[in-house]
Amino acid sequence: MCRILRPRHVPSQATVSTIALALIPRAVALNLAIGAIVAALKLPVYLDSMGTVLVAALAGPLAAVITGVTSNLVLGMLSSPTFIAFIPVTAVIGGAAGLASRAGAFRSVPRALAAGLLIGLLAGAASVPIVLALFGGVTAGGTGIVTIALRALHLPFEAAALVASVSVDVIDKMFSCATVAAVLARLPRRIGARFGLPQPTA
Amino acid sequence: MIARLRSINPLTALAIAVLLVFVTYIVPAPTGPLAALGLALVLAAMTGAGRRVVVLAAAVAVPTWIFLAVMNVVVAPEGDTVQVAGIDVAPAALLPAAWVSLRLGAAVAALGWVVMTTPPQRLVRALAQRGLPAWSQYLLAASLAAIPEARRRAREVLDAQRCRGLPVGGSPLSRLRATLPLAGPLMVSLVTDSERHAIALDARAFDARRKRTSLTEVADPNDERSLRRVIWVATALLALWGLLR
Repeated sequence: MCRILRPRHVPSQATVSTIALALIPRAVALNLAIGAIVAALKLPVYLDSMGTVLVAALAGPLAAVITGVTSNLVLGMLSSPTFIAFIPVTAVIGGAAGLASRAGAFRSVPRALAAGLLIGLLAGAASVPIVLALFGGVTAGGTGIVTIALRALHLPFEAAALVASVSVDVIDKMFSCATVAAVLARLPRRIGARFGLPQPTA
Repeated sequence: MIARLRSINPLTALAIAVLLVFVTYIVPAPTGPLAALGLALVLAAMTGAGRRVVVLAAAVAVPTWIFLAVMNVVVAPEGDTVQVAGIDVAPAALLPAAWVSLRLGAAVAALGWVVMTTPPQRLVRALAQRGLPAWSQYLLAASLAAIPEARRRAREVLDAQRCRGLPVGGSPLSRLRATLPLAGPLMVSLVTDSERHAIALDARAFDARRKRTSLTEVADPNDERSLRRVIWVATALLALWGLLR
């Protein structure tokens, strides 16, 4: 078991600071609460990884993976156990977003859009085996409707599930990443500095 | 018996649910999923959550069956087809769709029984007693506590921005554009809040390594511990059988 809390005198890439630990539960809550905004705006996306992407941008991949896993565990406890099956997908999203953050993906909106594209591709690919194994290839929702439409166009079963999953995830993650990049640009300097964000020169 | 079941340690309930999920997916359909579903529903009924678990399982299984049936029977028929009202349909595909949905419903019922009858905080406390690290306890407990506050803030931001004239209708693009003024303040407030909580954690020596004590203990009698060991061994053997057959 890795020790997640960092003793202050030992900086390490594989640990999470206290402020990141305090941020993770709020990001988990954001993943769940953002649904109120999505519903009010009747958006065609879920945005349920926005908190995970925010943690990735501020605190790195390990904290983001923990956020993603905790989000789906909590959702599984509060809403439906089916969310527990998708924990690997949220871990992939967190890890990929954290690595993208290390590469400077959240320094501008265009870069964040490119990172969102990659994260969406990975997330979509990661969810397909779960959807095929547990749900028979189609989930009851927007992605399922896209899968059925693609099957109507005579696309093979696995390809339809993959294209549907990836297309929905790519749009969702591109938008989530762009929103996080725009918010980070507006974050108070003092808070940004606490997470080690680069400060704009005056 | 019923009183004992209602006060069961959450870890015992979780072990039973995990075993039922393995039975659902490893023992061939319909025997495995039907047995697991039946047992999960009996346990749920005995602990006063029967109706809620049925609704939860049906809410996942029925739509999945409908989607699978539409896809495999009508839209892209699999196997032998017959004509119904001029459309080729494959009625034989209904049965595999039913087995997928039955498995899903049984797994949801098994885990749903635990979810519906165990307050999450009690589960976290029981896990802590069995050695869950302090940071994991904090993450689960603080996440559960932060959700109502975040939902309240989301509604407040939404109402405030609407009062300022933010359009929340129109084309999908204009609705997407409205996301930033709504999600932005919510995200900034949660990040700001986390700094305050980090200071509180540091002030309370959260990263101290000493073993912590709890004000309330979750009962974990010896016979339940033995039962859990038997259940975990049975689950492992079942998984092994599933791999080897």
